[in-house]
Amino acid sequence: MNAPRFFSTALQYVFLATAAFLSIFPFIWMVISSTNTSIDIISGRTGIGEAFATNVANFFTQVDVPLVFWNSTKVAVLATLLTIVVSSLAGYGFEMFRSKARDRIYALVLLTLMVPFAALMIPLFMMMAKSGLINTHIAIMLPTIASAFIIFYFRQSTKAFQTELRDAAKVDGLKEWQIFLYIYVPVMRSTYAAAFVIVFMTNWNNYLWPLIVLQSNETKTITLVVSSLASAYYPDYGVVMIGTILATLPTLLVFFVMQRQFVQGMLGSVK
Amino acid sequence: MYRKTNLSRVAAGALAAASLLASTAAFAGEVTIWCWDPNFNVAIMKEAASRYSAKHPETTFNIVDFAKADVEQKLQTALSSGTTDALPDIVLIEDYGAQKYLQSFPGAFAELSSKVDFSGFAPYKVQLMTMDGAVYGMPFDSGVTGLYYRKDYLEQAGFKPEDMQDLTWDRFIEIGKQVEAKTGKKMLGLDVNDAGFVRILMQSAGDWYFDKDGNLSIENNAALKAALETEQKILQANIHKPAAGWTEWVATFTSGDVATVTTGVWITGTVKAQADQSGKWGVAPIPKLDVEGASHASNLGGSSWYVTAGSAEKDEAIDFLNEVYAKDIDFYQKILTERGAVGSLLAARNGPAYSEADAFFGGEKVWQNFSDWLAKVPAVNYGVFTNEVDTAVTAHLPSLGQGAPIDDVLKAVDSQAQGQIQ
Amino acid sequence: MAAGKTGGLKRYYDLNGWLFVAPSLLLIAIFLVYPILRSLYLSFFSGKGMIMKFAGFGNVARLWNDPVFLQALTNTVTFFVVQVPIMITLALMLAAVLNNDKLKFIGFFRTAIFLPCVASLVAYSVLFKSMFSVDGVVNSALLAVGLVSTPIGWLTEPFWAKVLVILAITWRWTGYNMIFYLAALQNIDKSIYEAAKIDGVPAWARFVYITVPMLKPVILFTTIISTIGTIQLFDEVYNLTEGRGGPANATLTLSLYIYNLTFRFMPSFGYAATISYVIVIMVALLSFLQFYAARDRS
Repeated sequence: MNAPRFFSTALQYVFLATAAFLSIFPFIWMVISSTNTSIDIISGRTGIGEAFATNVANFFTQVDVPLVFWNSTKVAVLATLLTIVVSSLAGYGFEMFRSKARDRIYALVLLTLMVPFAALMIPLFMMMAKSGLINTHIAIMLPTIASAFIIFYFRQSTKAFQTELRDAAKVDGLKEWQIFLYIYVPVMRSTYAAAFVIVFMTNWNNYLWPLIVLQSNETKTITLVVSSLASAYYPDYGVVMIGTILATLPTLLVFFVMQRQFVQGMLGSVK
Repeated sequence: MYRKTNLSRVAAGALAAASLLASTAAFAGEVTIWCWDPNFNVAIMKEAASRYSAKHPETTFNIVDFAKADVEQKLQTALSSGTTDALPDIVLIEDYGAQKYLQSFPGAFAELSSKVDFSGFAPYKVQLMTMDGAVYGMPFDSGVTGLYYRKDYLEQAGFKPEDMQDLTWDRFIEIGKQVEAKTGKKMLGLDVNDAGFVRILMQSAGDWYFDKDGNLSIENNAALKAALETEQKILQANIHKPAAGWTEWVATFTSGDVATVTTGVWITGTVKAQADQSGKWGVAPIPKLDVEGASHASNLGGSSWYVTAGSAEKDEAIDFLNEVYAKDIDFYQKILTERGAVGSLLAARNGPAYSEADAFFGGEKVWQNFSDWLAKVPAVNYGVFTNEVDTAVTAHLPSLGQGAPIDDVLKAVDSQAQGQIQ
Repeated sequence: MAAGKTGGLKRYYDLNGWLFVAPSLLLIAIFLVYPILRSLYLSFFSGKGMIMKFAGFGNVARLWNDPVFLQALTNTVTFFVVQVPIMITLALMLAAVLNNDKLKFIGFFRTAIFLPCVASLVAYSVLFKSMFSVDGVVNSALLAVGLVSTPIGWLTEPFWAKVLVILAITWRWTGYNMIFYLAALQNIDKSIYEAAKIDGVPAWARFVYITVPMLKPVILFTTIISTIGTIQLFDEVYNLTEGRGGPANATLTLSLYIYNLTFRFMPSFGYAATISYVIVIMVALLSFLQFYAARDRS
């Protein structure tokens, strides 16, 4: 190995290691903090403390953990599944059945990406209130299901779907919905996996809209609980850190379990 | 109450069924209450609820705890959408915002004038919830201010508790310099993202961002000018520890990094939560500004209960508030002892808890002091735009630190505020 | 592809085409298009809370006399102009390095750098606030290695607060963008690089003249998505500054200002709706410009 090559390789490792360290450090800090008392955390103590068990115990007494997790999981999983079903249908539809009218509509759909959520809040809330859906989990899910971004993602990925498969199936007499269900979905499973990871993370972490819609303790999700713990008049940061860990674990888990399919799916989307 | 909404109106099928799983059945006569701070308002409301339930077992309470910003945001969303379905029966509103809600959403809150005897409450509290001669709220806690100080640090710097009484702000800064020189501790924590300190000083001189008629009063406001000058002197003397936001600010004194705290009486619970600092704290009246009408008494925050007009349990809610908050003297003794809450029902001051000595404060009769100061708090007009002007003041706090002339700052605040209050 | 079909077959396709996209379009119409139009309608009204009167273009005129709006606009543009290029460049460089098969632990590095995207915004704001507080771990570290002599006021000084917001968004989203580039890079034929290497093209030139042009469509896509995200920036500044956008309005973004006008101040829905249309117009213009710039060079 010659000298420049060695330096270049070393440089690349240094670059990657720095980036990786900076990326992971806040997670490590979160875990370290969770072992300290509130006062130690605020005054910047860097060592591992002994308050972990106390913090966990306090968190479990202050928060109805099973209920909160059930709420979050229910909302995130249902909303994610619905989003994926509806958006993949649309992505498939827009790519496979192109027409002038639909291309124009597709452009309009992409335009909706530009609208800030802040502009929708009040009208959306009024709608939900009139339908009697305030303080229900359906109200959180409904506006998130149709996502221009995920439709775009599925349409891009569909470009890589081999039309020969579809033509062959048609010769065999399969209807369009059968082709979609029995051929497209299985072939595109890594695309679905990647979409699941992205949409699940978005829904699990969703904050502003649930904050507006949910009114009672029985319907709160984990992000709301963490933010309300953190903005108490006298927040116990040790307890808050336990909350942040618990709020992060499910998304971490989903990512690690589906990592391989996720990367594959992303590959397909940018072909 | 929102639980009673007829879901069947909406064809939502399986999803509706799924979401119903998480809701509980509605009880008859359940009063829903929104408030913030589990250690203060929430705990106090739970105490009030249990007192009422003891006499009226058919009434149950659902006290919902949100962060303060969340309560305000939910209330405003629900009121704006024009639907009462989403509202609780009783909601806690900070006094600064009371007129904003009353005037922007007329008819949203129940009028209580005919049902409650308001003559027994601190007049400034009643005034801020009055619109067109009608009173719309139940006065709750007071934010009467005090100067909390660390006796041990001040003693190290050569000051006794007597030296902390009847200060001027200039003297306060003098002491601050010596405290830092002798102990290495800063004199106070200042939240750079909050104008609370300025508001305390301004109100202590009997003025506000608005005149008696609600017109913006910035450029010729002597009290505001003096308050900003004082904050500038403190910033330039560098006797403060800067904090970003509430949590960091609280940490400046819970961690023992600063020698004094000037704020509302509701902080007492937080100060006392540091058991290892017991006996080290004292409370004095806040220092005085050097302007006409200046006093040692002021107010910061404080909030009150409001009943929503569309509430199904309206009468029950009003009766509950009236029974406990307007009549139960013993209740006020208990929340004072347990939570450090100074109510605004004047008769409560004659109760036993108010004359007790507090060991945490080295045996001082702090509650007696606070209630004396409460009677002296100057009444001012909070108007409807306090949040807007406060934001304008906050935005210009950093330029104070950089030494900008006060008149320029006032002008800039005025111009930003004018743009906001159309 | 199917667009060229004709006759009865076309109608058949058409029906299927509409059926597949119908659920999405219906939902978008109800939960996006209707509220947007409703906001547009509101933007012609002004007043306190529910007492509103028709104001024509009064809200538009108000924009120019509102120093806070102008500051929020400046801040938003600053975040966008500074942050997006930094993040895109960083993500591209990381992707290029990670695409090198000869390096070890690629999987670990890739996972590590992507990890920030799984953090919930509430969790990460709470974390960043504690890490960047005056006595926090970041200042302690900087003091320990002697990079600074007094703690940096990350959340108390206007300049540093802006820096912190940029750091925070960059931390959260660089890995996300990197994954797109990495995926695109793996679709590029490696032999192009081998050939260039044999011709003696240095690594940086291969990056600038081969990698970047090949990735242009993806870069365009991520740039637009990041632009949209940054111009609508809300969650991070809301959580880092207790919803205030301080100090001195230094981190107040347009979305946060809209939020304040709607929920914290005397509610002015009309004016808030007007500002939200400023965002829509900005994003539309910038996306158009980016498309145009990308097309121009090819």
